[in-house]
Parts: sequence; C-alpha cells; structure tokens
Amino acid sequence: MTSTFRRLRWLALGAGLLLLIALATWQLAPPPHERSSESFAGLGEAAGDYAQARPGTPLAFPADHGPHPDYRIEWWYLTANLEDEAGTPLGIQWTLFRQALAPPGARSDEPTDAPWASRQLWMAHAALSTPQQHLVGERFARGMSLPERRAQAGVTVSPFTAWLDHWQLESLAGESEDAFDHLRVSAQAEDAGQSFGYRLELEAEGPLVRHGDDGFSQKSADGQGSLYYSQPFFQVSGEIEIDGETRPVTGQAWLDREWSSQLLGANQHGWDWFSLHLDDGTKLMAFRLRGGGQSSDDPSGHYVSGSWITPEGELTALDGDMLHLEPLERREVAGRQVPTRWQLTVPERGLDIEVTARQAERWMDTAFPYWEGDVSVTGSHPGQGYLEMTGY
Amino acid sequence: MRMAALGVALTALLSHYRRHPGQLAMLLLGLWVASALWSGVQAINASARDSYARAESLFSAQLDRIERRDGQPVGLDAYLDLRLTGQPVSPVLEGRITLSDGSRLDVTGIDPLTLPLDSGFRTAGGDQSLTQFLQPPYLTRVAPETHARLWPSDESTPTADNGTPLPPPQVASELPPDLLIMDIAAAQALLGRSGPSHLLVAPDTEVALPEGLRRTQAVNLAAPGQLTDSFHLNLTAMGLLALVVGLLIVHAALSLTLEQRLGLLRTLRALGVSGRALVGLLVGELLLLGLLGGGLGLLSGVWLAKWLLPDVAASLDALYDARVGQALALPGYYWLGGLAVTFGGVITAGFGTLWRAARLDVLSLGRAQAWRGQFQRQLKRMAIAGTLAWLVALGLWGWLSQLPPAEGLALGFTMIAALLLGSALWLPPLLACVASGVERALRHRPLAQWASADLQLQLPRLSVAMMALLLALSANLGVGSMVGGFRLTFLDWLDQRLVADVYLSVPDRDTGEDLAEWLVAQPEVAALLPRSRAETTLNAAKGQIPSREVAVYGITPHPSLTAHWPLKAQLDTPETAWDAFTAGDALINEQLALASGLAPGDRLELASPTGPIERRIAAVYPDYGNPRGEVTLTQADVSQRFRTAPDSFGIILAEGSAATGVDTLRERINQRFGLGRDSVIDQRDLKTQATTLFERTFAITRALTVLTLGVAGLALLTSLLAQTAQRRAQLAPLWAIGVARRPLVATGLFQLGGAACVTALLAVPLGIALAGCLVAIINVAAFGWRLPLHVFPGQIAATLGLALGAALLAALWPAWRLWRTSPRELLTEFDTQ
Repeated sequence: MTSTFRRLRWLALGAGLLLLIALATWQLAPPPHERSSESFAGLGEAAGDYAQARPGTPLAFPADHGPHPDYRIEWWYLTANLEDEAGTPLGIQWTLFRQALAPPGARSDEPTDAPWASRQLWMAHAALSTPQQHLVGERFARGMSLPERRAQAGVTVSPFTAWLDHWQLESLAGESEDAFDHLRVSAQAEDAGQSFGYRLELEAEGPLVRHGDDGFSQKSADGQGSLYYSQPFFQVSGEIEIDGETRPVTGQAWLDREWSSQLLGANQHGWDWFSLHLDDGTKLMAFRLRGGGQSSDDPSGHYVSGSWITPEGELTALDGDMLHLEPLERREVAGRQVPTRWQLTVPERGLDIEVTARQAERWMDTAFPYWEGDVSVTGSHPGQGYLEMTGY
Repeated sequence: MRMAALGVALTALLSHYRRHPGQLAMLLLGLWVASALWSGVQAINASARDSYARAESLFSAQLDRIERRDGQPVGLDAYLDLRLTGQPVSPVLEGRITLSDGSRLDVTGIDPLTLPLDSGFRTAGGDQSLTQFLQPPYLTRVAPETHARLWPSDESTPTADNGTPLPPPQVASELPPDLLIMDIAAAQALLGRSGPSHLLVAPDTEVALPEGLRRTQAVNLAAPGQLTDSFHLNLTAMGLLALVVGLLIVHAALSLTLEQRLGLLRTLRALGVSGRALVGLLVGELLLLGLLGGGLGLLSGVWLAKWLLPDVAASLDALYDARVGQALALPGYYWLGGLAVTFGGVITAGFGTLWRAARLDVLSLGRAQAWRGQFQRQLKRMAIAGTLAWLVALGLWGWLSQLPPAEGLALGFTMIAALLLGSALWLPPLLACVASGVERALRHRPLAQWASADLQLQLPRLSVAMMALLLALSANLGVGSMVGGFRLTFLDWLDQRLVADVYLSVPDRDTGEDLAEWLVAQPEVAALLPRSRAETTLNAAKGQIPSREVAVYGITPHPSLTAHWPLKAQLDTPETAWDAFTAGDALINEQLALASGLAPGDRLELASPTGPIERRIAAVYPDYGNPRGEVTLTQADVSQRFRTAPDSFGIILAEGSAATGVDTLRERINQRFGLGRDSVIDQRDLKTQATTLFERTFAITRALTVLTLGVAGLALLTSLLAQTAQRRAQLAPLWAIGVARRPLVATGLFQLGGAACVTALLAVPLGIALAGCLVAIINVAAFGWRLPLHVFPGQIAATLGLALGAALLAALWPAWRLWRTSPRELLTEFDTQ
C-alpha cells in the first residue's frame, strides 16, 4: 500500500473539509492533535477511480483555468498584500474550492431534470486582515447542472468567472489576452456581526508560471503530486470595506490554481506554505509537508519543495537540498502552538530571510480551521507575502 | 415502641383484609381504576408533548421562513436569484408521500450546505457523514418509532407509491415522528418536484426580498405545543374527572374498613399502641395500598394510552397539523408523577379516616357506629360547602363573561369543577330530604315507611357512591350533548360550505389559466369558482387590536355559493352582506372575530404587496376545525392585491351530471393536464374525510366518559357489597317479625333504584348545564368557535336508563345474597347481638 500512497501539499483546505465537517455529528472537527493519525482534512485518501495528476500532462489555457471535475479536488486561491492611503498593511484572501464526492462515471455531470443531484461540492473562504482584525467568511454550495442559468456556484472558462453566491472572481481581459491578465474579485461577508468586503481589480505584470515539472508539482518521494500553476504578478487596486466604511487600497496579489486526486500520505498531517513577493521583483513559493519524508526511505522527515520565479517569470524548481525552512518562534493561537516566525534559505541564490507573521491572530475558524495570514520578509531579500499553515 | 410490636400491630390491622378480602379488592379496584384513567390520559399528553418538543427543536421551527405570498412553491429561480445576490437563504422541499402500504408521511428535503449552522439541524443527531447524506443512495433521517415501523428488518426497503424507494434509514431520536428528513435531491426524486417549496433564513439575518415573497419570523410560526394546548387540557380534565370518581370509591371503602376496625383500633390503643403510632401505621397501610393500586393503575394506564393514542394522533394531525408518534414516549416524570398523584389521592381520600383514628376515644366502646350520629351535622356542612362551591361557580361565570372569550380555558374548567363539586355535595342532603319526605308521605305503608327510614340510615355510605354516579352521569350527558350537537352543526356546515361538486388544485399560474379556459368549455361544468389564498398581517387598529398573522382566502361570490355558505353574524340580512362582500367588503371567520373582538361593521387593515388595504367587515362565518384566523375577500380582490393566481377551482357540475360527472371529469382532466390523482377531489370524499376526523376526535372523549360511568357503577356495587353483612343485621328483625324474604329483597331494590333515580334526575339539569359550559366557554376558548346548544331527549332517557340499570345491577348481587341467606343465618344475627 505505502508505495501507491501519496501525500500532497498545502492548499487543499477545500477538499476534504467538507467531508469532515460532515463528520460524524455535524459538529466541528476535533482539534487536529486528537486525530494525529489522520491527515489534514482527510486529504490522504486514495485517488481510486479519479483522474491522476501525472508528469507530462500538458497544461492548456484557457481550458485549464476552468474546472477539472474528474479530479477529486481543485482550487482557485487568491491572496493579496495591500495597503491603504495611510500605508496600513492589509491582507485579503479569496478562495474557491471544488470537491468531488464521487468519481467520474458514478454520476453524470450533464444537466438533468434533477438539478440538486450533483457529485460536486463547492466551498469558498473570504478573509480580510487589518493590524487589529481578522475577518473571515465561509460559504458552501452544491454543484448544480443547470442548462439555462447560473447555478449557485461554479467556474466558467469563457468568459472566465469563478463564483459561489455573490463572491466572484471574473476576468476583465480582452480577447487577445489570457483570462488571468485582468481580473476582478469581490466578496461581501459578515463575521461576528461585523460586515466586511472588498472589490479589487488585478492587473498581471508577468506571465503564468508552471510549478515543478512544467506544471506537475511533485508532493512526495513516491512521485504523487498535483497540477499546479500560478499568476504571482498581480498589481492590485480597489477598495475594501469594514462595517460600511470603505478605503481605497493598492498592493500585490498571487493567484494559485491547483488540482489533484491524491492528497496527503498517511504520515503527513499538515503543511506550511509560503508565497512571497520579494522587493527585487522575485517571487518565491515554498512549502513543507510535515511527515512523510523527503524520500521513501525516510518517512519521518518533512517533504520540502519550492519555486524560484524571476521578475521575468522564469521558474526554477527548488528541492529539499536547495531550500531550507525552519520555524524560529511559536505562538499560542486558538489554543495551538503555531510557528509565526520562520527562516528560509536558498544558499544557491544567496537568499537568507526571516518571514514573520504581521499578526499571530490570523486563525481561520472555518468548518475546518487553519492559519492563513500576511507576512513580512526581512534579511537578504526583504518583501512581503502570505503564509498558510494547516494541521496544528 | 419497638419495631416488633409495631409489626404485630400492623399485622393486626391488615388482618382485617384477610377476613374481608372484598374490601381490599374494592380499595385496590378504586385506586387501580382511578389511577389507570388518569395516568392513561397523562401518558397520551406526555407522548404528545415529547413529539411537540422534538418538532419545536427541529431546525425549521427555529429559522424564519420565506414563502411566496400566493402559497405556491418558491421555485429554483427565485432561490438562486437570492443566493447570487448574497442572501443566505436555504432551500427546503416539503411534501407528503404515500408509501406503497398506504401510510402517509411528511418528507422534508434540505440542503445542509446552506442551512444556517447554528440551527437545530446539527443537533438532530446522526452519526454518518455528510457525504452519505448528500450522495446516492442518500440517507433518510427518521425518529426511532418511525424507523421501527418502516424498516422492521434490515432488508426492508419501503417504497413510495410512485415506485421510488426511500433512502436507507438513519435514526435520529431528536426528530418528530412520521417525518423523513433527507437531502433535497433525494426529496426531489421522491416527491417528483424540483424547486424548493420555501426557504429558511437565520432569524437575525437581514434579507432583501422581492415583492412576491414574504418572511415569517420563527417566533410567529405556530408551534404545535401552543395550538394543541387546549386539546390536551380537555383530555386532562377528563382524566381528572375519572380520578375524582375513582377516589370517591376509595374514600367509601376506607371509611367502611375503618368503621369496622374501630373496635380493633381501640383494643390496640388499650394495649398501649400510641395514637401517633396508630396513625403512622394507618398511613403506612394507605401508602402500601397506594403503591399497589397506583402501580397497577400506571401499567393499565399505559395500556389504555396505547389503545387511545392512534385516534388522538390522527386527530391532532388533522386538526393542527401536529405530528404525534403512535408509540408512547414516557419520560421518568410520568411514572413518578402518576404514583405521586395516586398517593396524594389515597391520602386525601383517607384523610377523614386518619383524622377520626387520631381522635379516637378509647373509652367510648359503646358506639360502634359512631359516625352515623354525626351524619345530620355532616349533611348540614355538605349543604353549606355545596352552596359555597356553587357561589364560586357563579362568581367565575360572572368573571368569565367579562373576559375576552379566548382567554377563559383554565377558568372555565375551574368553574365546571366548582359546579360539579357543589352539585355532588348537595346530593346527600337532597337524598336525605327526599327520603324523609317519602317517609312522611308513606305513613300508612309501614314497609315503605321503614324502607325510607332505612335508606336514610344507609345514606352516609351510599352517598359517596351516589356522588360518583352523579358526576359520571352528568359528565356523560354534558359531553354527549356537546358531541351530538357538534355533529349536527358540523354536518350542516359541511353541506353548506362544500358547495362545489369537485375541487381541483392548480399547480401553477399557467396551468391554472389553461385549466380555467378548458373547464368552462366542458358541457358538464355549470360554473367555475376560482379560489386563492395568501398569507398576510392584520395590522393593529389604533390601540384596539394587536397585529397578527392571518390567512387571506379569496372566494367567488357565485349565487350557488352565496345561497348556502353559512354566515354567523352580519349587519343586516345575509343577502345584503353578500352584496356588500361582492362590492368589496370582507368576511372574517369566527376564530378571528373571537380573538380580535372584530365585529360586522368594523373596519380592518391588511398588509399586502400593493400596500395596506382597508376593508369593512360585512359578516362573520363559522369555520370549524380551523385553528387560525382568516379573512375572506373576493377572489378577484385577493388576486389583484396579493398578486396571486387561483390555487384551486370549485367546479359545479350541470344538473344531472353530478353522479357520473365527477369520475369522467377527473379522468379527462388527468388525461389532458396530467395532474396528480390528488389534485381532483370529489366533494363527497372531502365530506367523508372531515366527518371521520371529527368522529375520531370525539371518540376519545366518549371512550373516557363511558369508562368514567363504568367506574361510578363499580363504586356503587362496591359500596353495596361492603355493607351486605351489616344490612343483614338490620333485615333480620324484619324477617323475624314476619316479612318474607321476597318483599325484603324487593324493598332493597326499590331503595337503591329510588336513590339512583333521584341522582339521575339531578344529573339531567347538571349535565345540560355542563354541556352549556362546554359549548359556550370551553370550546370557544379551546377551538375558537361556538356551537349552538343541543339537547337530545333520547340521549337523556338512555343515560337515565343506564344509571338505573347500573344501580339495579349493583343491587342485584347483594339482593341475591340476601335471597340465598338461610333462616338459620338470619337467626344467628340475634345471637351475635
């Protein structure tokens, strides 16, 4: 079994969350340490009859901007580091997750006269971070195959729109451009009686980048992985709103697209993932899957990987020998010990930086909880970015 | 005193029952019957409350409801439009299915992904994953009792009558019975409909709704517990009556056993048992009896409740849409409460006994029948107490007539209790009076005169049994004439109200228009009466009435309808009222009139999507069986102001085609429009269904009154049996001076028959008064409608006959015993004296 089993990386939230909400009693999941034998959000399940992410699968646009219903999980994951006119650092997250409940063939994806019957679930997260606050919203929907109108959630390729209810990521790009060259994102939600929202336009200043082996991002020594590309070059402008008060903002954003059918390995119980905008224009993606090992001979270690992206969009894959991630400091957040200061080194590139959470309190108290927040970067290559940590 | 001595004393006390097992049996019987009826009723109430609590904790009762104003399903488009503008509404698909075995169940399809998280859905249990809930073959969440009924074994797969199997079951004990909760996709397949029937939203969430939709706050959704309160109060009152009657037997039996043990008690006192210890022992004896009789009663009560529950459940479902499980759900407090009530009753019934035992005069050995001397004084006290109770009843009557009619339920029952108590207390003085009157009148008939005098001697003990008989008889008469009156009124009303021959429900606006066009062209259709419905708020008038939710009903004032449709109160004549209605006035139902105090001539204001509308009230109409307030306008008015299309048509068939027309029309409608077979309703079926429902409701009441009457007959029999031996001592001298046994036996029967007749005659006016209270106060408060009072002489005669029969039957056994007594035994009476 072990050799066919996999692990996966970060992202993921989406996926199994739902499965687990489900949890037995419709209650929130028990804290992860009580289920340390399980992988985060159940992402370690076998791919079964789903399509498999394999090296050499060519990515094709704009088709691959759209959904891949034959894969178990998929997401459109946007984070942005913003500041208002007073220079206050702000952050937003907008994520749409798709999760298949049954493998292809088990159910038809074609429109039927049974609009509620669907094998796809959708989940969306929206968050807005200020130095004082972390506002989070969450929505769910079932896939619906409606021939004549927009369903509650979905993604269309042409024109590109990804939405759940009124939370929406849509393309404003012209016909000659890539759909992701020009996007608009909006969300409006309420957290503990406080309303918040944002409406931002994103202008890409670089190309799409394909992680790993031309878009196949390996997640374990066993060869399992996902299809993964990003648009990390967005310049952002727009406005955010808290309790009816709007503020104009500008900044940088990073959009991830990833899909897979095989998730974490049996020994992997979470991950730490970084997307960093360095001041010299370089973008750095790095992740560490905890447990599961760098090689199949060493299941106890961490699986580390990343991408070095030049301002021109040339991507170099980094493996565990080239990239080092070390937590420097832990803070108690929502009753858990979460690393909020890290050291990242890429000796080959002369990179030695400290990544610090702007605020420790960035806990996403969603159906399946995790940490996601804006970070500042100091050291050899200063900058800013986003950090996501799961399974704590 | 040492325990051993106490034990000996207790054994001595209890040994009485070894010599008189009949008295023990009678005591236990009284306790058993009283506690069985009471606890049976309580078991029904407890089960119903359990079902209501589960229904009220259900998510749908805790969330606000969004519906279309015209009552049609909300539909998929309206739902998605709301979601896509960010409104956090959740769809619900509700309906009723018929299983292939004919049973009908409610199906609620939900979308757990959009249901507000804090709602009760999560608490409604279940241990399987959301994935299973959302994916074929799906899951059916059901209450345990429904699960046991539908899935008797693991292999069973219940199937809806359209051939769709129910998804596999998942037991959720928090759910109300006969409700199937499943994913909306599964419900859609089962019900054959696609759009949601309504939407839910968390109470604290603001939602911007389009005009055609309206939101009802969770707090305003009628909770079954509130609606059915009155029904259960009625049941409780019946149970209480049975308890009182049963305790009267216990009282009679206890008095007798004490009296016969007075000598024993004195001996025990003389032997050094303290008065306190003696009372303690008697209390112990009572508790023992209470435990035994109460325990038996509880068990039989459960059995009785099981027997009555299906009818009760069917009534509650049909009357209030309240689902009550067919299986009993008995919480711990039920058992404890049942025993406590029995103990309380035993102690109350035995209080007099204990009181006398405590004040026992050790030296007055000579007066073995000590209490008879006090009877005259006791009669006076009874008369005074009875008068007081009557005054209380009168005072309550006066107070009730001041109160708004809907508020007097508990007070009404108190008044009835006072009336019954007062009359029961007056019975012994009345009987004594009659007996002494007869005694004087029959001066020249020595045996008859003796019989009257002797009856007065028997009275102290007979009176309690007679009181029980009086209560049971009057309850029987009162309830009987209420039920009978209701049946007459209700059947008339049904005939008048169901004017059309066929009723046809319309699935949507377009089909409705096509249908109307097609129907009018049919030769057998004489007239088409479209009807619409809407829900709205009756706005508060300046400080007069509070705002309330009401149903709006649109009817077509066709002559065939206005000629029959019953009105209860109008300004002038029914004809002018109908003219005014056609011209735009409103009708209101009796429930609304009673609850709000609105009367013909008043004006009311309704909220509507086209702004508030004001209407004058032309008349009030009776609306039996409807728990809600309703305003009726013309259908055209409702369609225009509330933006609704007709939801059903009444079809009046042409002369001569009524008999066969229904079936052929139904056939043709189904062929042409493919409506479900439930859409076309024959008026005759409707009447049968309605009548069956009310027969069922009242079957419960009648079952209880008949049982109570049985208890009273039993009381009489046991009282008579208990004094047989004593009677022998009094009859022996008569026999000795030459009166043959045959006239002696006949005298006994006459004595008892006479007493029973007097009791029954008193029961007649009391029963009519009771019926009056029931229809004028209790029904109005409980159901919101008033019935005319009907008196049925035949029924009264039958009840009188029944009473006399019961009394004579009860007297027959002692008479037979006397008949069989040998002269030698009668002679020994003199020996012992």
